[in-house]
Amino acid sequence: MSELFQEAVIISILAGTFRVMTPILFAAIGELVTQRAGIWNMGVEGTMIMGAFTSYIVAVETGSQHLAILSGILSGMVMGLITAFMIATMRVDHFITGLGLNLLVGGLSLFWFRLYVGGGYAPTFDSLDNFAIPILNTIPILGDIFFNQKLLTYVAFLSVPIVWYFLYRTRWGLELRCLGENPKALDIKGLNVVLRQYVAILIGSSFTGLGGAFLMLAFSDRFQPDLTAGKGWLAIVAIIAGKWLPKGVFIAVLVFAFLGSVAVHVQILDVNIPYQIFLALPYLASIILLICMRKKINQPAKLGVPYFR
Amino acid sequence: MIRLEKRIEVNNAWIALMYLSACIIGFLLTALLLWLSGTDISKAFYALYKGSMSSQKTIFSSLSKATPLILTGLATVVAFRAKVWSIGQEGQVYSGAMSAYMASLMFFGLPVWIYLTLIIGFGALGGAFLGALSAVLKNRFNVNEIISTVMLNYIMIFFLSYMVGGGPWTGVGDVALTYSQSNPIDDTAKLPFLFDSRKLHLGFVLAIVCALACHILINLTPFGYEIRAMGHNSIALKYRGTNTKKTLLYLMVFSGAIAGLAGVSEIFGTNHSLKGDTLVGLGFTGIIVGMIGGLTPIGTVIAGVVFGGLASGSVYMKIIAKVPGTLVPTMEGLFLLTFLIAGVASHYKIVRLKKDV
Amino acid sequence: MSQFTLLKTKQLTKYFPGVVANENVDFVLNEGEVHCLFGENGAGKSTLCSCIFGYYKPDSGSIELKGKSVKFRSPGDAIKNGIGMVHQHFVLVDDFTVLENIIVGTNTEQWKLDLEKSENELRAICLEYEIDLKFNSLVRDLSVGEQQWVEILKSLYLDAEILILDEPTAVLTPEESKKLFKIIHKMSNNGISIILISHKISEVMQADRVSVMSKGKLINTVFPKNTSPQELTNMMVGREVKLRVKESKYSKVSSSSKPLLSVKNLKYMNKYKKFALDNVNFELHSGEILGLAGVSGNGQKELFDALSGNLVPDSGAIIYDGTEIQGKSSRHYMDLGIGLIPDDRYREGLIGDFSISENVILGWQRHQKYSKNFFLNHKNINKFTEYLIKEFNIIAPNASVPVNYLSGGNAQKVILAREFSHSNKILLANQPTRGLDLGVIEYVYEQIKLKREEGFAILLASEELEDLLNMCDRIAVISDGEIKGTVDAQSTSIQEIGMLMAGHAEVSA
Repeated sequence: MSELFQEAVIISILAGTFRVMTPILFAAIGELVTQRAGIWNMGVEGTMIMGAFTSYIVAVETGSQHLAILSGILSGMVMGLITAFMIATMRVDHFITGLGLNLLVGGLSLFWFRLYVGGGYAPTFDSLDNFAIPILNTIPILGDIFFNQKLLTYVAFLSVPIVWYFLYRTRWGLELRCLGENPKALDIKGLNVVLRQYVAILIGSSFTGLGGAFLMLAFSDRFQPDLTAGKGWLAIVAIIAGKWLPKGVFIAVLVFAFLGSVAVHVQILDVNIPYQIFLALPYLASIILLICMRKKINQPAKLGVPYFR
Repeated sequence: MIRLEKRIEVNNAWIALMYLSACIIGFLLTALLLWLSGTDISKAFYALYKGSMSSQKTIFSSLSKATPLILTGLATVVAFRAKVWSIGQEGQVYSGAMSAYMASLMFFGLPVWIYLTLIIGFGALGGAFLGALSAVLKNRFNVNEIISTVMLNYIMIFFLSYMVGGGPWTGVGDVALTYSQSNPIDDTAKLPFLFDSRKLHLGFVLAIVCALACHILINLTPFGYEIRAMGHNSIALKYRGTNTKKTLLYLMVFSGAIAGLAGVSEIFGTNHSLKGDTLVGLGFTGIIVGMIGGLTPIGTVIAGVVFGGLASGSVYMKIIAKVPGTLVPTMEGLFLLTFLIAGVASHYKIVRLKKDV
Repeated sequence: MSQFTLLKTKQLTKYFPGVVANENVDFVLNEGEVHCLFGENGAGKSTLCSCIFGYYKPDSGSIELKGKSVKFRSPGDAIKNGIGMVHQHFVLVDDFTVLENIIVGTNTEQWKLDLEKSENELRAICLEYEIDLKFNSLVRDLSVGEQQWVEILKSLYLDAEILILDEPTAVLTPEESKKLFKIIHKMSNNGISIILISHKISEVMQADRVSVMSKGKLINTVFPKNTSPQELTNMMVGREVKLRVKESKYSKVSSSSKPLLSVKNLKYMNKYKKFALDNVNFELHSGEILGLAGVSGNGQKELFDALSGNLVPDSGAIIYDGTEIQGKSSRHYMDLGIGLIPDDRYREGLIGDFSISENVILGWQRHQKYSKNFFLNHKNINKFTEYLIKEFNIIAPNASVPVNYLSGGNAQKVILAREFSHSNKILLANQPTRGLDLGVIEYVYEQIKLKREEGFAILLASEELEDLLNMCDRIAVISDGEIKGTVDAQSTSIQEIGMLMAGHAEVSA
């Protein structure tokens, strides 16, 4: 246990936190936009898997990481289109749609993976490199933790204030928030509600797809069936725990990522405590967080309610 | 623009047609997938038939694979009918399996029928406990049941992984440690086989009994009335005198217990040792089975048997037609999609709106 | 008011599944006039206006604006053409400020939110019409009257030339109504044409012209000064109708001086930290109908919830026959024989997808009459339902039809049937005739009166003061969560009640 508290390990845990945080943060901030528009997109987990899987195939086939990342975003958009069609056009119940898509994607991704791999081993690709920020990364300790991350991690961090600005300082953000509180108010003014729902879902799922791509490209060199292991769900919990505010979501994801990073290090360091406890920590923490969050005052008023004229 | 409008008169012939189409389209899509992956379609379907229903042995195999799916499907039906979106069947299966295993250790040596009853009972309790937990989290702390059940699933998976992968229940020997499994369970703890089959076991009877119980409960009892009412309008139910928190608790206990039985059935009827590999996915597949079964007990049994057949046939498909084993989960997903659409199509119709409304 | 025809509909027809909402309607609106659309519930007034506003598309017929034919594909088109509509049920975002509600979706050029310019424009409008609103208050902190001003401002901000107001005074106190009409007349003087949907004769008589609608058709357009309330009502219903005159009092069942139910100092703070119930006190006796007057939003909902076991008050007592029962479950109240007709019938009183027979036992499914030995007693339930369908004249193909398929009136009858059969002491009726047409309204009131004669203690809340004056023995006025005063129905007047509703405890000479 004392191995955990050496300086190098702590730095590694903290640096790892930001790395682990990235995919969840992408998914969470994207889903936040969707939920503020009144839509429960439960298919976050499935979208992440798709993003991870497509980016894997593209990375192996083309060798280009850029293309792989792009494909992750695109696959997210495709998932978003399907989701939006079911929810915004057909007005199917939000929960059923998301759960159904998760189940479907779970099976499909497995199938395609086995098909691709055939009988042998899974082909690999080059993982993402770190993108060190010059000068800043030479600061002792802090430099290693903050300024030696991958480029996309910085992007993920930036996306939080960008989403904040979008929601609260632009007219589209006001309209989007109105969607989540009372879509009829927009309909009455002659604005297309369905179109805006599509946009909100597409934004969310693109971010999530990107998160899935990062999860694949930054953490290992080949696809594995249970790659996401519930990270999509953690993103959803983070939104609730963060009271549907960008700042809150950021903090919640930070907590989960920290626990996740600790879990990874415990496995490597061969500590006496069974590593499964640490793996389970984020999920336990979620439940505890939600218990403390009994009064969800900030939940968008019409979240989950299909809009009929 | 198109939108959905609820059909005013729904006749059974239309519903049957919708679901039949869903079946056919599901198979067509599967054939398409097979063709795209370069498999010989006729060989594949022949292998499927051979592996699932060509002989008494294969039929028993299908039914035994169907058993846990029927049980987790029923668990889904009970919850989803009340619009309680419990995804916890997966974790409840694990919890049931582990409780039953613990009972098998604790009560070893007791007369067989008492022993078995305790094992089955504890299994049900294990699942029920997890279900109750989610209900309490929702009742007391307003925690969304989807999230709490998903989280509990992961916690259970890790818990089992510890118990048989380095923890107290790990089996003796290198094999056990590598594959994270317990010692094989004693012969006395095994669920008796039916019809001298060596495949079909008591679990199947349990599944059918549970299906009957669910049917009677949901359609013929006041409690079932409350479950259905909760699914349609829980506010009105609460307004006029029913304690919906109690209703939620009872139905989650019932649902969890049935899912727990699936764990018992798998470990003590089919696999005969406690390990995660054989339990994984039973819960999620059960959700699909339940939904494809139209959230009715009878439909669930039928869907469960079909999926059991698929699982049984897939072994043959792998050997004879070289179809990847993961075709089955994919087919499950495809059928789910087609049946969901059929479900919507049977109660709603598409209205094309001229210009705008 | 000029004679210039601003807007015209020609043979406008609109169908909904199973119903002809508007049939060949020829409606004419002149520039600068206040034009009232008069008719009962379901006559087609709202539908006509929704077509004019572009919310619905007419199935046949046309609309002409300033002589040119127009086709509105959405409210956006109507708004661009200077038509605005204030709906009966406000469409506001509670968590947004006044300013945000007004400007959301209006700016199509910039992406940035520019609040200052909009504020200045709004301030000018508010000055013109003497509307006093703080732009950064949250809508949920506003009174109902103020919320309505926000709705009106939404249209004025977009330079509406035609403003449609749908039953605007339904939610206002008499004082707020007067203020609204002042604003309406000012708008009319400024050249804005107003279509006023109303079913209140008093308001109709104040308009420049009135069009009477009935069963989807426009019957006639007349000048109020050339006609009379009696004539208008006849046109509306299509037959000679006796305007409800105060009935002579029946021989009152002697209500015991000891109250059956008394409410003492009931207090309840809602989630917005406002006192929805602020020291409510009153008594209810057997054999009497106590009216509860007041526009919705003054605590009626919370009061009825508390009296039916659906809300736990923060403090105070509800005493039934000597025992305190506040905070107990709805089950407890139902078992005591207290029946409830909720104001939101589909949300709180019925399960729409359930059949009639399943709905008549809602809440009683475990009672020995309907279930024995774990099982539901379908035979008994069906027999009971058949009986109720006959007794209450519920129009439905059979007992297994989902209640969603029934008309509003028949659905309400299902609730009445259920509650009357299972209660025996107290009846709580919250807006029992809302949204129903005249025939069913008469029936409902008849049934309630019968219950009084049986000795029930009845609490009747309604927004229609006329109805309360006709039905009740005493009337309590609720405003801001408090009972401002209780008056004797025989000797009071609308003015007196209006004063109490406005918060004046004393009536000034």
